[in-house]
Amino acid sequence: MLKKHPLFGFILFGVALFLLSNRVDELRVFQGATVAIYVIAIASIILLTGYSGQVSLGHGALLAIGGYAAALSRNYWGAPVWLTFCIAVLAAAFGGYLLGLAAARLSGPYLAGTTLALAIGLPSIANQFSILGGEQGLLYDIGLPPASLGADFTQYKWYFWISALAALATIYWLRNVMKSRYGRSWKAVRSNDVAAELAGINVGRNKVLAFTVSAGVAGLAGALLAMTISTVSPGAFPLALSFSLATGAVLSGVTTLGGVMIGAVTLVAIPEIVDTVVHRFESSEAVANNLPGLLVSTLLILTVLFVPNGPVEQMRARHEKRAKR
Amino acid sequence: MLLIGIGAGSIYALMAIAMVLVWRSTRVINFAQAGMALLSTYIGFELVQRTGNFWIALPLAMILGALFSALVEILLIRTLIKHSTTGPVAGIVPIIATLGLLGFIRATIGFIWGNQDIQIQPPLSKVGFKIGEDTIALSPMNLLVLLTVIGMVLVLGFIFQKTSLGLSLRASAYAPEIAQLAGIRVGAIRTIGWAIAGAAGAAAGLLQTVNGTGVVSPDSLEFSLLLTFGFIAAVIGGLESLPGAVLGAVVLGLVLAVVQIYISGTLVFIVAFALLLLVLLIRPQGFIGAKAGRRA
Amino acid sequence: MIRTNRRKLALTSAVLAVAAMTASSLPAQAASNPGVTSTSIKLGITVPMTGIASPGYNKIPGAMKAYFDYVNANGGVNGRKITLVIKDDQYIPTTAVAKANELILKDKVFALVGTLGTASTKAISASTQLAKRGIPSLFVNTGFSGFADKKAYPTTFSILPSYQMEAKIMGKFLKDKYAGKKIALIYQDDDFGRDALAGFKQAGVTFTTAIPYASGSQSLPATGAGWISKLKAAGTEVTVLFGVSSASTAALANAYAAGYKTQWVLGSVGGDATTIAASNKAYVPLLFGAKGFSFAPAPSDASDEYVKLFQSIYASAQPSQTFDNNVVAGMSNAFLAVQAIKAAGSNLTRAGLIKTIETKGASLPNPFLTPLGYSATSHVGATGYWIGTYDQTGALKPDGGKYTVYTTDSGKGPVVESSYKRPAMPAKGLPN
Repeated sequence: MLKKHPLFGFILFGVALFLLSNRVDELRVFQGATVAIYVIAIASIILLTGYSGQVSLGHGALLAIGGYAAALSRNYWGAPVWLTFCIAVLAAAFGGYLLGLAAARLSGPYLAGTTLALAIGLPSIANQFSILGGEQGLLYDIGLPPASLGADFTQYKWYFWISALAALATIYWLRNVMKSRYGRSWKAVRSNDVAAELAGINVGRNKVLAFTVSAGVAGLAGALLAMTISTVSPGAFPLALSFSLATGAVLSGVTTLGGVMIGAVTLVAIPEIVDTVVHRFESSEAVANNLPGLLVSTLLILTVLFVPNGPVEQMRARHEKRAKR
Repeated sequence: MLLIGIGAGSIYALMAIAMVLVWRSTRVINFAQAGMALLSTYIGFELVQRTGNFWIALPLAMILGALFSALVEILLIRTLIKHSTTGPVAGIVPIIATLGLLGFIRATIGFIWGNQDIQIQPPLSKVGFKIGEDTIALSPMNLLVLLTVIGMVLVLGFIFQKTSLGLSLRASAYAPEIAQLAGIRVGAIRTIGWAIAGAAGAAAGLLQTVNGTGVVSPDSLEFSLLLTFGFIAAVIGGLESLPGAVLGAVVLGLVLAVVQIYISGTLVFIVAFALLLLVLLIRPQGFIGAKAGRRA
Repeated sequence: MIRTNRRKLALTSAVLAVAAMTASSLPAQAASNPGVTSTSIKLGITVPMTGIASPGYNKIPGAMKAYFDYVNANGGVNGRKITLVIKDDQYIPTTAVAKANELILKDKVFALVGTLGTASTKAISASTQLAKRGIPSLFVNTGFSGFADKKAYPTTFSILPSYQMEAKIMGKFLKDKYAGKKIALIYQDDDFGRDALAGFKQAGVTFTTAIPYASGSQSLPATGAGWISKLKAAGTEVTVLFGVSSASTAALANAYAAGYKTQWVLGSVGGDATTIAASNKAYVPLLFGAKGFSFAPAPSDASDEYVKLFQSIYASAQPSQTFDNNVVAGMSNAFLAVQAIKAAGSNLTRAGLIKTIETKGASLPNPFLTPLGYSATSHVGATGYWIGTYDQTGALKPDGGKYTVYTTDSGKGPVVESSYKRPAMPAKGLPN
């Protein structure tokens, strides 16, 4: 039944999350929101790289566009929160469109390097124009949870609800997009762009579309990220963020949406586990600060060397091999 | 001001040279280049502490940098090539692998030396030379960097163009299967290519540190800059040529210096990005780019 | 069949993930008074321990801890020992927010103390909802005038004189001493620097050149060089540095390289000679004759009873580190915190501590040379500065051999010479 009505599965999962959120403490709820946001951001990379075959190391910049768009529209136009999210998506999608136009001509390391430069360059624009708040950024306050939810309903739980809902909706929508003819044409271009061109697919437009959609999704993640920390600033979107997202995508398996939670959870879980371990054993600062980075990097290198398509794909391939016998 | 631009550019040039070297010999863009340079810088720091002499430390650090780089090639890159897949991930796998390596190196440095700043005293004066009454923006330290860059380009260019080693390096990168048929030990040649790049990177890291504030830490802004600007410089100049890398770096250094001094220091990154984009769109091979051959 | 497996895997991984998160957590139960037990108090601080703005400031937590340990070794405060949880925020506001969240939600500290950086403090207040949670943020290490506003920041207490106050006092000094000379200003382009601009305007100072720099850009190679060429071009005679220590270092380093001479006037934030010296000893002579501002006793002043005490405590706690004004700042901050906690009594609550500082804060013993302004309507801390000159070793010595303190407010009030006499230090510097 789940196969026929995947929507049902999503709703079930949503309900489970809702029940869970009432039982855990604030820290977990906050982390849950972070995981949901990573899910959205990693999904956008999977779309771009896994399905459309274009490398981007600079998704942090697209998240930044979304975050700033949301904050600006709220502060200067007083837009309601849901509208700020829409504006974030549109602004980032537009940015992605422009980037896609340029990117369609580039490939491989050139594209990677260009997006890298963008990831570093874009947030620093905020320092130049005071309307963007400079280094300390802008405030982005989505307000308190509605009174109907009760006085005990914490702000962080509200963030979690919003992020989780957004994540569920986004993944559901993306699944459908991947199954549609757009998704199929992306896959075709990724496998062999000459053949795709011969089959009548406009490769250039196809690639730009992928960038645009991916950017829009990333923009949503950016707005949600800004929501959880109540500010946008260049420091919220450092190069390390882009690298983390790329890492998360590879850990999840960049060619398929199925494992997207693996990467998101790993990114949040590892610093958490390390922190607990460090506290337990009273290690030095050098250990505490660097162990997460060490673990994640090692995991990344191992994954990319031995399971480059990600665990989900690996299992599928093994299944296929077995089925063939 | 011209001199300031050239001074900054020459540091990027060292990094760009390292990246071009790796590219030309193995067709991999090594994002971990800056990380390896950072490690070599720390090793250089240790050497300076122990020997008290920068002039011994620098060549030693370069040698150790070369060894470390060769080690990375053997352990990481060969595994990468052995397990290489086709399909969508083939493009990003080496990139992600080198990014992972970058993170690994940074974390290891923090482990061993701590996250605090370390200080390396410059061997030469940083006060500008005097011409008559004025002090110009060129100091003995700047001059050293310039000379190193020029020296490196000359030596490496000579190796690549005029020696059989250079020929083997270029052949192994461009057409490894054919090179192997011709009797070239492709694997060993690749290792050598990385080793040379490691030495160049070590020089870049050490010189950049002492030429700047003299202070370095695992999260140094300077090294992130080195990575980005080195890459941009390499691409602008055309990944295929060493003089191109230097030219690209000088152009970048000048442009950025102009922006920093006359407009605003904060725009440097976006200007660098714009420059990169511009060059890639107009002339994808870079200024001194070669034939439109393999691009991936 | 394959598809079902893939979906099954995806679903399983999702469920596992959620279960993992739940397994390690407790049911939601708010502690009524977190961070306080009958024998201990937990305080938290976020400060740049590494990164661009860390030189100098990263000594503050160690200094604070040294004083807290001294108090703990001598019976603690009302029988409680103080632990300080230190988090590194690298002077990045969003990192500061994440770390503050950790302090509040994970470490469950009683109060924040000494949060450093205008932008970071602002971000933390907004994001972690300090006001709503009633969490005290004591004696923040920033001079932004807004934090003294009780309505905007009900649980936050300033300690440093505001940058507006400092700029007004500096402005009066500039007008008195350097009238008619060409004065330039280098300042950080955010609320920290803009607060100063407002103060200078209030004082009626006009600068021939004003050079803003974006926080972080001071370490780029050509930035400092650019400043010096602009200063040279304007024929500047007096240069005011109102930025962080690394910016002062960049300015001095490039002036040194270019052989450029000027009369330097350093603001209190970036006036840390030890940090500048740590970068390159060659720069210290450049400071000789420069003017500096401070409101605590000078670290070189061995005749001051507080300095003597702090020096001996620090020497045994951190023998390898130099005793400088960052250490004095940290230990003074810790001293005042201990006095406030003691005054709040054995029944220690967050609300109680806030009330205590409002009612009794201004009369608590402390090392500072200006009066404190805490009241039920204002959370203003120190209110003035003394002016000094750096000697050849980089130590700031008060002009005229004694501390002449000038006080003012963050508004339109005048700058006046203060007659404040600091009360004597309690015996052995302990909360008795």
